[in-house]
Amino acid sequence: MTDLKVGPTSERELAEIDLVVPADGAYLAVLRTAAAGLAARLDFTLDDIEDLRIAVDEACAILLSQASPGARLRCTFHMSDDTVIVRAGVRATNPRVPSRDGFAWTVLNALASRVEFAVVPPDQLVIELSQQRPVWRS
Amino acid sequence: MSVEVTAPVAAAKTGSSSLMPRADTGQDARAGTRAAFTELARLDPRDQRRADLREHLVRLHLPLVEHLARRFSNRGEPLDDLTQVGMIGLIKAVDRFEPARGVEFSTYATPTIVGEIKRHFRDKGWAIRVPRRLQELRLELAAVTSELTQELGRSPTVAEVAARLHLDQDSVLEGLESANAYSTLSLDAPNNRDDVGASLSDALGGDDAALGHVEYRESLRPLLAELDPRDRKILLLRFFHQMTQSQIATELGMSQMHVSRLLSRALVRLRAGLLSE
Repeated sequence: MTDLKVGPTSERELAEIDLVVPADGAYLAVLRTAAAGLAARLDFTLDDIEDLRIAVDEACAILLSQASPGARLRCTFHMSDDTVIVRAGVRATNPRVPSRDGFAWTVLNALASRVEFAVVPPDQLVIELSQQRPVWRS
Repeated sequence: MSVEVTAPVAAAKTGSSSLMPRADTGQDARAGTRAAFTELARLDPRDQRRADLREHLVRLHLPLVEHLARRFSNRGEPLDDLTQVGMIGLIKAVDRFEPARGVEFSTYATPTIVGEIKRHFRDKGWAIRVPRRLQELRLELAAVTSELTQELGRSPTVAEVAARLHLDQDSVLEGLESANAYSTLSLDAPNNRDDVGASLSDALGGDDAALGHVEYRESLRPLLAELDPRDRKILLLRFFHQMTQSQIATELGMSQMHVSRLLSRALVRLRAGLLSE
Protein backbone atom coordinates (compact mmCIF):
# COMPACT_ATOMS: atom_id res chain seq x y z
CA MET A 1 0.00 0.00 0.00
CA THR A 2 1.45 3.29 -1.03
CA ASP A 3 0.09 6.75 -0.65
CA LEU A 4 0.84 7.52 -4.26
CA LYS A 5 -1.56 5.02 -5.71
CA VAL A 6 -4.51 6.58 -7.43
CA GLY A 7 -7.70 4.67 -7.72
CA PRO A 8 -11.25 4.58 -6.50
CA THR A 9 -11.90 3.52 -2.94
CA SER A 10 -15.43 3.59 -1.55
CA GLU A 11 -17.41 6.24 -3.42
CA ARG A 12 -14.74 8.82 -3.54
CA GLU A 13 -11.81 8.75 -5.87
CA LEU A 14 -8.45 9.26 -4.36
CA ALA A 15 -6.77 11.99 -6.25
CA GLU A 16 -3.38 13.54 -6.35
CA ILE A 17 -2.84 16.98 -7.76
CA ASP A 18 0.59 18.26 -8.59
CA LEU A 19 1.29 21.94 -9.09
CA VAL A 20 4.65 23.42 -9.94
CA VAL A 21 5.00 27.19 -9.86
CA PRO A 22 7.93 29.61 -9.83
CA ALA A 23 9.14 30.16 -6.27
CA ASP A 24 7.68 33.62 -6.13
CA GLY A 25 5.07 35.05 -3.79
CA ALA A 26 2.92 36.07 -6.74
CA TYR A 27 2.00 32.43 -7.30
CA LEU A 28 0.88 31.69 -3.75
CA ALA A 29 -2.66 32.66 -4.69
CA VAL A 30 -2.79 29.77 -7.17
CA LEU A 31 -1.83 27.29 -4.47
CA ARG A 32 -4.23 28.77 -1.94
CA THR A 33 -7.09 28.56 -4.39
CA ALA A 34 -6.26 24.97 -5.29
CA ALA A 35 -6.18 24.02 -1.61
CA ALA A 36 -9.56 25.59 -0.96
CA GLY A 37 -11.15 23.99 -3.99
CA LEU A 38 -9.87 20.54 -3.10
CA ALA A 39 -10.90 20.77 0.55
CA ALA A 40 -14.38 21.78 -0.52
CA ARG A 41 -14.63 18.56 -2.53
CA LEU A 42 -14.10 16.59 0.64
CA ASP A 43 -16.95 18.37 2.39
CA PHE A 44 -14.74 20.38 4.68
CA THR A 45 -16.44 23.17 6.60
CA LEU A 46 -15.75 26.77 5.65
CA ASP A 47 -13.69 27.16 8.83
CA ASP A 48 -11.46 24.27 7.80
CA ILE A 49 -11.25 25.43 4.21
CA GLU A 50 -10.12 28.88 5.26
CA ASP A 51 -7.67 27.40 7.75
CA LEU A 52 -6.18 25.20 5.06
CA ARG A 53 -5.97 28.15 2.71
CA ILE A 54 -4.04 30.15 5.29
CA ALA A 55 -1.88 27.15 6.26
CA VAL A 56 -0.80 26.57 2.65
CA ASP A 57 -0.01 30.25 2.35
CA GLU A 58 2.04 30.24 5.54
CA ALA A 59 3.86 26.99 4.74
CA CYS A 60 4.77 28.04 1.22
CA ALA A 61 5.86 31.47 2.42
CA ILE A 62 8.34 29.75 4.74
CA LEU A 63 9.67 27.73 1.81
CA LEU A 64 9.93 30.82 -0.35
CA SER A 65 11.96 32.62 2.28
CA GLN A 66 14.67 29.98 1.84
CA ALA A 67 14.32 29.26 -1.88
CA SER A 68 17.35 29.56 -4.15
CA PRO A 69 17.08 32.06 -6.96
CA GLY A 70 15.11 30.73 -9.89
CA ALA A 71 13.84 27.72 -7.94
CA ARG A 72 10.43 26.20 -8.50
CA LEU A 73 7.96 25.40 -5.80
CA ARG A 74 6.32 22.03 -6.13
CA CYS A 75 3.10 21.44 -4.28
CA THR A 76 1.31 18.11 -4.17
CA PHE A 77 -2.20 17.72 -2.83
CA HIS A 78 -3.05 14.21 -1.91
CA MET A 79 -6.70 13.60 -1.19
CA SER A 80 -8.08 10.59 0.56
CA ASP A 81 -11.54 9.98 1.92
CA ASP A 82 -11.40 12.50 4.68
CA THR A 83 -7.93 14.03 4.58
CA VAL A 84 -6.00 16.46 2.47
CA ILE A 85 -2.25 16.08 2.66
CA VAL A 86 -0.25 18.95 1.25
CA ARG A 87 3.39 18.34 0.48
CA ALA A 88 5.42 21.28 -0.74
CA GLY A 89 9.09 21.49 -1.51
CA VAL A 90 11.62 23.91 -2.89
CA ARG A 91 15.32 23.98 -3.63
CA ALA A 92 17.11 26.03 -0.99
CA THR A 93 20.64 27.30 -0.84
CA ASN A 94 21.06 26.36 2.76
CA PRO A 95 17.91 24.50 3.85
CA ARG A 96 17.05 24.78 7.53
CA VAL A 97 14.08 23.32 9.33
CA PRO A 98 12.23 26.09 11.17
CA SER A 99 12.33 25.87 14.95
CA ARG A 100 9.47 24.01 16.57
CA ASP A 101 9.25 26.80 19.08
CA GLY A 102 8.92 29.40 16.39
CA PHE A 103 5.91 31.48 15.62
CA ALA A 104 5.44 29.93 12.18
CA TRP A 105 5.24 26.49 13.72
CA THR A 106 2.71 27.66 16.27
CA VAL A 107 0.58 29.12 13.52
CA LEU A 108 0.74 26.03 11.33
CA ASN A 109 -0.04 23.74 14.23
CA ALA A 110 -3.15 25.71 15.03
CA LEU A 111 -4.27 25.54 11.40
CA ALA A 112 -3.51 21.97 10.38
CA SER A 113 -3.95 18.57 12.02
CA ARG A 114 -0.30 17.67 11.48
CA VAL A 115 2.80 19.53 10.31
CA GLU A 116 6.27 18.22 9.47
CA PHE A 117 9.29 19.94 8.01
CA ALA A 118 12.22 18.05 6.57
CA VAL A 119 15.45 18.72 4.74
CA VAL A 120 15.90 16.28 1.91
CA PRO A 121 19.57 16.20 0.93
CA PRO A 122 21.19 17.77 -0.80
CA ASP A 123 19.17 20.93 -1.05
CA GLN A 124 15.42 20.44 -0.71
CA LEU A 125 13.33 21.94 2.06
CA VAL A 126 10.02 20.08 2.32
CA ILE A 127 6.93 20.61 4.39
CA GLU A 128 4.05 18.25 4.76
CA LEU A 129 0.84 19.20 6.44
CA SER A 130 -2.46 17.45 6.60
CA GLN A 131 -5.94 18.40 7.50
CA GLN A 132 -8.64 15.98 8.38
CA ARG A 133 -12.33 16.40 8.03
CA PRO A 134 -13.73 16.79 11.51
CA VAL A 135 -15.51 13.86 13.13
CA TRP A 136 -19.02 15.28 13.05
CA ARG A 137 -19.52 13.73 9.63
CA SER A 138 -18.93 10.12 10.64
CA MET B 1 -42.58 49.12 -10.75
CA SER B 2 -39.94 46.57 -11.60
CA VAL B 3 -37.47 48.98 -13.13
CA GLU B 4 -35.73 49.99 -9.95
CA VAL B 5 -35.24 46.62 -8.41
CA THR B 6 -33.56 47.20 -5.09
CA ALA B 7 -35.62 50.12 -3.91
CA PRO B 8 -39.18 48.76 -4.06
CA VAL B 9 -38.04 45.40 -2.70
CA ALA B 10 -36.40 47.04 0.26
CA ALA B 11 -39.49 49.12 0.85
CA ALA B 12 -41.75 46.13 0.73
CA LYS B 13 -39.55 44.15 3.08
CA THR B 14 -39.00 46.79 5.67
CA GLY B 15 -42.40 48.40 5.63
CA SER B 16 -42.61 51.78 7.19
CA SER B 17 -44.28 52.10 10.54
CA SER B 18 -42.13 49.62 12.43
CA LEU B 19 -39.00 51.43 11.36
CA MET B 20 -40.12 54.89 12.25
CA PRO B 21 -37.82 56.60 14.69
CA ARG B 22 -39.51 57.10 18.02
CA ALA B 23 -39.55 60.87 17.68
CA ASP B 24 -41.66 60.50 14.61
CA THR B 25 -44.15 57.79 15.41
CA GLY B 26 -46.82 59.86 17.07
CA GLN B 27 -49.71 61.19 15.05
CA ASP B 28 -48.65 64.73 15.95
CA ALA B 29 -45.05 64.23 14.96
CA ARG B 30 -46.11 62.73 11.67
CA ALA B 31 -48.41 65.63 10.96
CA GLY B 32 -45.60 67.99 12.01
CA THR B 33 -43.19 66.34 9.58
CA ARG B 34 -45.73 66.61 6.79
CA ALA B 35 -46.33 70.27 7.55
CA ALA B 36 -42.60 70.91 7.61
CA PHE B 37 -42.20 69.31 4.20
CA THR B 38 -45.07 71.32 2.79
CA GLU B 39 -43.42 74.44 4.14
CA LEU B 40 -40.07 73.36 2.70
CA ALA B 41 -41.58 72.96 -0.75
CA ARG B 42 -43.14 76.39 -0.53
CA LEU B 43 -40.07 78.36 0.62
CA ASP B 44 -37.68 80.00 -1.79
CA PRO B 45 -34.40 78.06 -2.17
CA ARG B 46 -32.45 81.20 -1.24
CA ASP B 47 -34.42 81.69 1.96
CA GLN B 48 -32.37 80.99 5.11
CA ARG B 49 -35.49 79.59 6.76
CA ARG B 50 -35.59 76.92 4.08
CA ALA B 51 -32.01 75.88 4.80
CA ASP B 52 -32.78 75.73 8.52
CA LEU B 53 -35.92 73.71 7.99
CA ARG B 54 -34.09 71.31 5.69
CA GLU B 55 -31.44 70.76 8.31
CA HIS B 56 -34.09 70.28 10.97
CA LEU B 57 -35.77 67.57 8.89
CA VAL B 58 -32.47 65.82 8.27
CA ARG B 59 -31.63 65.80 11.97
CA LEU B 60 -35.12 64.63 12.84
CA HIS B 61 -34.64 61.48 10.74
CA LEU B 62 -31.12 60.68 11.82
CA PRO B 63 -32.38 57.77 13.97
CA LEU B 64 -33.88 56.18 10.87
CA VAL B 65 -30.45 56.28 9.18
CA GLU B 66 -28.77 54.88 12.27
CA HIS B 67 -31.30 52.10 12.46
CA LEU B 68 -30.83 51.11 8.83
CA ALA B 69 -27.03 51.39 9.00
CA ARG B 70 -26.97 49.04 11.98
CA ARG B 71 -28.72 46.38 9.93
CA PHE B 72 -25.66 46.29 7.67
CA SER B 73 -23.06 46.65 10.39
CA ASN B 74 -21.96 43.01 10.51
CA ARG B 75 -20.76 42.93 6.96
CA GLY B 76 -17.30 44.27 7.38
CA GLU B 77 -17.74 48.00 6.97
CA PRO B 78 -17.42 50.43 9.88
CA LEU B 79 -20.80 51.55 11.23
CA ASP B 80 -19.72 55.21 11.05
CA ASP B 81 -19.12 54.90 7.31
CA LEU B 82 -22.47 53.26 6.79
CA THR B 83 -24.22 55.96 8.78
CA GLN B 84 -22.43 58.59 6.76
CA VAL B 85 -23.44 57.20 3.38
CA GLY B 86 -26.92 56.61 4.78
CA MET B 87 -27.02 60.34 5.58
CA ILE B 88 -26.37 61.09 1.93
CA GLY B 89 -29.40 58.98 1.12
CA LEU B 90 -31.44 60.81 3.72
CA ILE B 91 -30.46 64.23 2.37
CA LYS B 92 -31.37 63.13 -1.15
CA ALA B 93 -34.70 61.88 0.13
CA VAL B 94 -35.41 65.15 1.96
CA ASP B 95 -34.65 67.12 -1.20
CA ARG B 96 -36.77 64.94 -3.46
CA PHE B 97 -39.72 64.18 -1.23
CA GLU B 98 -43.07 65.43 -2.46
CA PRO B 99 -45.51 65.59 0.45
CA ALA B 100 -48.42 66.05 -1.94
CA ARG B 101 -48.16 62.40 -2.97
CA GLY B 102 -49.48 61.32 0.40
CA VAL B 103 -46.70 58.86 1.28
CA GLU B 104 -45.06 58.95 4.69
CA PHE B 105 -41.57 60.40 4.52
CA SER B 106 -39.97 57.40 6.22
CA THR B 107 -41.57 55.07 3.68
CA TYR B 108 -40.14 57.21 0.93
CA ALA B 109 -36.71 57.64 2.49
CA THR B 110 -35.99 54.06 3.55
CA PRO B 111 -35.25 52.64 0.10
CA THR B 112 -33.16 55.68 -0.77
CA ILE B 113 -31.06 55.31 2.36
CA VAL B 114 -30.71 51.54 1.97
CA GLY B 115 -29.81 52.11 -1.67
CA GLU B 116 -26.93 54.40 -0.72
CA ILE B 117 -25.65 51.93 1.86
CA LYS B 118 -25.78 49.08 -0.64
CA ARG B 119 -24.06 51.21 -3.23
CA HIS B 120 -21.31 51.86 -0.71
CA PHE B 121 -20.77 48.12 -0.34
CA ARG B 122 -20.72 47.68 -4.07
CA ASP B 123 -18.50 50.55 -5.07
CA LYS B 124 -16.33 51.58 -2.20
CA GLY B 125 -15.64 48.33 -0.45
CA TRP B 126 -13.75 46.53 -3.13
CA ALA B 127 -10.01 46.81 -3.54
CA ILE B 128 -10.17 45.08 -6.87
CA ARG B 129 -13.01 45.71 -9.24
CA VAL B 130 -15.19 42.65 -8.83
CA PRO B 131 -18.30 42.06 -10.92
CA ARG B 132 -21.46 43.11 -9.15
CA ARG B 133 -22.82 39.57 -9.31
CA LEU B 134 -19.90 38.40 -7.17
CA GLN B 135 -20.19 41.33 -4.81
CA GLU B 136 -23.80 40.49 -4.13
CA LEU B 137 -22.91 36.85 -3.80
CA ARG B 138 -20.34 37.73 -1.17
CA LEU B 139 -22.94 39.51 0.92
CA GLU B 140 -25.28 36.56 0.60
CA LEU B 141 -22.54 34.14 1.51
CA ALA B 142 -21.67 36.09 4.63
CA ALA B 143 -25.30 36.16 5.72
CA VAL B 144 -26.02 32.50 4.96
CA THR B 145 -22.79 31.35 6.57
CA SER B 146 -23.58 32.94 9.89
CA GLU B 147 -27.18 31.72 9.63
CA LEU B 148 -26.07 28.13 9.07
CA THR B 149 -23.37 28.34 11.72
CA GLN B 150 -26.10 29.26 14.18
CA GLU B 151 -28.38 26.46 13.06
CA LEU B 152 -25.78 23.72 12.88
CA GLY B 153 -23.65 24.73 15.82
CA ARG B 154 -20.60 24.49 13.56
CA SER B 155 -19.24 26.02 10.41
CA PRO B 156 -21.17 24.85 7.31
CA THR B 157 -19.71 23.00 4.34
CA VAL B 158 -19.68 24.41 0.83
CA ALA B 159 -22.40 21.91 -0.11
CA GLU B 160 -24.64 23.16 2.70
CA VAL B 161 -24.15 26.80 1.75
CA ALA B 162 -24.80 25.95 -1.91
CA ALA B 163 -28.03 24.13 -1.05
CA ARG B 164 -29.31 27.04 1.01
CA LEU B 165 -28.56 29.54 -1.76
CA HIS B 166 -29.78 27.21 -4.54
CA LEU B 167 -26.40 27.49 -6.23
CA ASP B 168 -23.89 24.94 -7.39
CA GLN B 169 -20.80 24.41 -5.29
CA ASP B 170 -18.46 25.96 -7.83
CA SER B 171 -20.33 29.24 -7.63
CA VAL B 172 -20.01 29.23 -3.85
CA LEU B 173 -16.28 28.60 -4.13
CA GLU B 174 -16.01 31.39 -6.64
CA GLY B 175 -17.78 33.67 -4.21
CA LEU B 176 -15.48 32.70 -1.35
CA GLU B 177 -12.53 33.39 -3.59
CA SER B 178 -13.80 36.81 -4.52
CA ALA B 179 -14.38 37.57 -0.86
CA ASN B 180 -10.64 37.49 -0.46
CA ALA B 181 -10.40 40.40 -2.86
CA TYR B 182 -12.75 42.43 -0.76
CA SER B 183 -11.50 45.68 0.55
CA THR B 184 -7.99 45.93 1.77
CA LEU B 185 -9.03 49.49 2.44
CA SER B 186 -11.87 48.89 4.85
CA LEU B 187 -9.82 46.30 6.69
CA ASP B 188 -7.64 49.17 7.81
CA ALA B 189 -10.56 51.09 9.21
CA PRO B 190 -10.44 51.64 12.93
CA ASN B 191 -12.54 49.31 14.97
CA ASN B 192 -15.87 50.76 15.88
CA ARG B 193 -16.66 48.42 18.73
CA ASP B 194 -16.01 50.12 22.02
CA ASP B 195 -15.58 46.96 24.02
CA VAL B 196 -12.55 45.72 22.11
CA GLY B 197 -10.15 47.88 24.05
CA ALA B 198 -11.11 46.38 27.36
CA SER B 199 -11.39 42.78 26.26
CA LEU B 200 -8.17 43.13 24.33
CA SER B 201 -6.20 43.97 27.44
CA ASP B 202 -7.83 40.94 29.04
CA ALA B 203 -6.73 38.85 26.12
CA LEU B 204 -3.24 40.29 26.14
CA GLY B 205 -2.92 39.76 29.87
CA GLY B 206 -3.45 36.05 29.37
CA ASP B 207 -1.32 36.03 26.29
CA ASP B 208 1.98 36.22 27.97
CA ALA B 209 1.27 32.72 29.17
CA ALA B 210 -0.04 31.63 25.77
CA LEU B 211 3.00 33.09 24.05
CA GLY B 212 5.30 31.67 26.70
CA HIS B 213 6.74 28.84 24.69
CA VAL B 214 7.18 30.80 21.51
CA GLU B 215 10.80 31.43 20.81
CA TYR B 216 10.26 34.62 18.88
CA ARG B 217 8.37 36.12 21.77
CA GLU B 218 10.75 39.04 22.10
CA SER B 219 10.78 39.82 18.40
CA LEU B 220 7.11 38.99 18.07
CA ARG B 221 5.96 41.36 20.77
CA PRO B 222 6.86 44.62 19.01
CA LEU B 223 5.39 43.33 15.75
CA LEU B 224 2.16 42.37 17.50
CA ALA B 225 2.08 45.79 19.07
CA GLU B 226 2.13 47.40 15.64
CA LEU B 227 -0.93 45.52 14.48
CA ASP B 228 -4.37 47.02 14.63
CA PRO B 229 -5.81 46.00 18.03
CA ARG B 230 -8.61 44.07 16.37
CA ASP B 231 -6.21 42.17 14.09
CA ARG B 232 -4.01 41.37 17.06
CA LYS B 233 -6.93 40.08 19.03
CA ILE B 234 -8.08 37.83 16.18
CA LEU B 235 -4.58 36.50 15.72
CA LEU B 236 -4.17 35.68 19.38
CA LEU B 237 -7.59 34.09 19.68
CA ARG B 238 -7.01 31.88 16.67
CA PHE B 239 -3.42 30.78 17.23
CA PHE B 240 -2.93 30.94 20.95
CA HIS B 241 -6.42 30.32 22.30
CA GLN B 242 -7.34 27.84 19.59
CA MET B 243 -10.70 29.40 18.82
CA THR B 244 -12.16 28.64 15.39
CA GLN B 245 -12.78 31.38 12.86
CA SER B 246 -16.52 31.03 13.41
CA GLN B 247 -16.17 31.38 17.16
CA ILE B 248 -14.05 34.48 16.73
CA ALA B 249 -16.57 35.86 14.25
CA THR B 250 -19.36 35.42 16.79
CA GLU B 251 -17.29 36.91 19.58
CA LEU B 252 -16.39 40.00 17.58
CA GLY B 253 -19.69 40.37 15.73
CA MET B 254 -18.29 40.04 12.23
CA SER B 255 -18.51 37.47 9.48
CA GLN B 256 -16.27 34.41 9.40
CA MET B 257 -15.08 35.50 5.94
CA HIS B 258 -14.00 38.79 7.41
CA VAL B 259 -12.11 37.02 10.19
CA SER B 260 -10.35 34.92 7.57
CA ARG B 261 -9.24 37.97 5.62
CA LEU B 262 -8.02 39.81 8.70
CA LEU B 263 -6.08 36.73 9.82
CA SER B 264 -4.38 36.34 6.45
CA ARG B 265 -3.45 39.96 6.41
CA ALA B 266 -2.09 39.98 9.96
CA LEU B 267 0.04 36.93 9.18
CA VAL B 268 1.48 38.56 6.09
CA ARG B 269 2.51 41.56 8.16
CA LEU B 270 4.06 39.50 10.93
CA ARG B 271 5.87 37.32 8.44
CA ALA B 272 7.35 40.36 6.73
CA GLY B 273 8.48 41.68 10.10
CA LEU B 274 9.97 38.41 11.34
CA LEU B 275 11.81 37.71 8.12
CA SER B 276 13.28 41.17 7.86
CA GLU B 277 15.27 40.76 11.06
